[in-house]
Amino acid sequence: MEINAAALKEKRRMLWILGALVLLSIVFYMTIDVNLSNSKFLAFSMKLRTPKMVAMVVAAFAIGAASIVFQSVINNTIVTPCLLGMNSLYTLIHTVIYFFFGAASIFVVNAKASFLLDLVMMVVTATIIYGVLFKKTNYNILYILLIGTVLSSLFGSMQEAMIRVMDPNDYDNLLLTLVAGFDNINGEIIVLCIVLLLLVAFFLRKDIALLDVITLGKHQAINLGVDYDKCIRRMLIGVTIYIAIATAMVGPVSFLGLILSNLSRQLLKSYRHTYLILGASMIGMLSLVAGQILVEHVFTYAIPVSIFITLGGGIYFLFLLLSAKKG
Amino acid sequence: MTIERLKKKYDGKSVVKDISFEIPKGKIISLIGPNGAGKSTVMGMISRLIAKDGGNIKFEDKDLAKWKSKELAKRLAILTQHNNVQMKLTVRELVAFGRFPYSGSHLTAEDLEMIDKAIEYMELKEYENRFIDELSGGQRQRAYIAMVIAQDTEYVLLDEPTNNLDIYHSTNMMKMVRRLCDELGKTVVLVLHELNYAAFHSDYICAFKDGKIAKFGTVEEVITKEVLSEIYNVEFEIMKIAGKPLTIYY
Repeated sequence: MEINAAALKEKRRMLWILGALVLLSIVFYMTIDVNLSNSKFLAFSMKLRTPKMVAMVVAAFAIGAASIVFQSVINNTIVTPCLLGMNSLYTLIHTVIYFFFGAASIFVVNAKASFLLDLVMMVVTATIIYGVLFKKTNYNILYILLIGTVLSSLFGSMQEAMIRVMDPNDYDNLLLTLVAGFDNINGEIIVLCIVLLLLVAFFLRKDIALLDVITLGKHQAINLGVDYDKCIRRMLIGVTIYIAIATAMVGPVSFLGLILSNLSRQLLKSYRHTYLILGASMIGMLSLVAGQILVEHVFTYAIPVSIFITLGGGIYFLFLLLSAKKG
Repeated sequence: MTIERLKKKYDGKSVVKDISFEIPKGKIISLIGPNGAGKSTVMGMISRLIAKDGGNIKFEDKDLAKWKSKELAKRLAILTQHNNVQMKLTVRELVAFGRFPYSGSHLTAEDLEMIDKAIEYMELKEYENRFIDELSGGQRQRAYIAMVIAQDTEYVLLDEPTNNLDIYHSTNMMKMVRRLCDELGKTVVLVLHELNYAAFHSDYICAFKDGKIAKFGTVEEVITKEVLSEIYNVEFEIMKIAGKPLTIYY
């Protein structure tokens, strides 16, 4: 039974409309300017477009879900994992592996092994760093933001320092994997990523319901019988894996998470995380696919889609900060 | 609920020193005392929000730490002072969270009935579809109390429920607390700063000073010139109004 059936129905309808729009944009992206009469041309365009399309869908889901969950865990809607340096941490770890193992090692040559090692190290370090950070500052958002920004540039400079003393051949190799973007997708790990995303979602499905309660604040959550610390830890691990996957596949996209989570919250005005996550991911898919269509067919690859995102996201972030002041 | 030799230290400084007392069932117990006397910390420990550094808390003949958090949530509810929600949440949705320990996010017909009752009890019917962040302080406080009522626990712990409320709303809040105890048979523990509310509406008072219990007893035993002057270091006059001792200080 539901406490507010009418409002819920409306929210479900919004999600269906979003879903339909996503499907439409995907179909449009796959078929625009394709020569359907010649099967060889068709096969070629599909081969080019399918990995890109899948990567966009996966990245949108990973970033949207991770941002919503992360925001609810620290109870603030203008912070994203990215803002606190999770992306830079991933880049740093990736560099460290190249630095110590060298370009000939299995962890570099084999994309899957490389990704899995990245992932394990990322989960371990990020849960320790961010877990301690949240606990020590007692979830005080100002400190978290401050320390997070410092961490972000610290990881960045550490990575830069390493690059400078690196073997030039290793560096060359590293750069190829670091500049992943929507036009240069790390295709070898797509299947692995999808499996991982689904596994994590399956294991955390119960915690998502607890997240609704956790947004009432730590004390209320404990009062209502939630094992707070354990749940937060599990959620953080999930977020880390999602961010690692997104970064490995399409590279760092700074403001995407912020845009997606806030648009989803504004659109759905709901506290239900299943809805918010679905909303954020679908808005992500829609904007990424639409953006990519623009990039490929209007700007003919002159401007990559991440530039649009960073530009729009930066402005949107300022807008959020300024409008939050008033309220 | 029995509390034995409870201790808490913050950064090596003892804030709660060896406190023992018993919470009588079906009564209203107010914890009073100057700032930093340890009353809120004690409240935090008996509600499992703050970890204790020593001592025992027995709840229904079982160690509080051994209770499953979810089971405890059906027996004991706590409302702290600072509640801010970042979510867009209506009053009715907030109150519905009180049923979370029972049904998770899948509410039953019985849950809906409890939610409606709690909303009516706190006279929130006309606001039930308003968002929490659009309410006044008094209305929001009432919404949270309604959630606690929907949680339907035998024990209700309220940390400074009258804080930030004006005279009208705090008086109503205290009357409400009395009704919770008299009509619904709940045991209510409050942390209060206003001595006269404590004196007028509670059954027992536990007065703290410097991390220790200065005096625990019935209202008549604790609200006396000698006890209060000793605790607060201020001159007190006691007057009897409507059969209750009320305090005057200046």
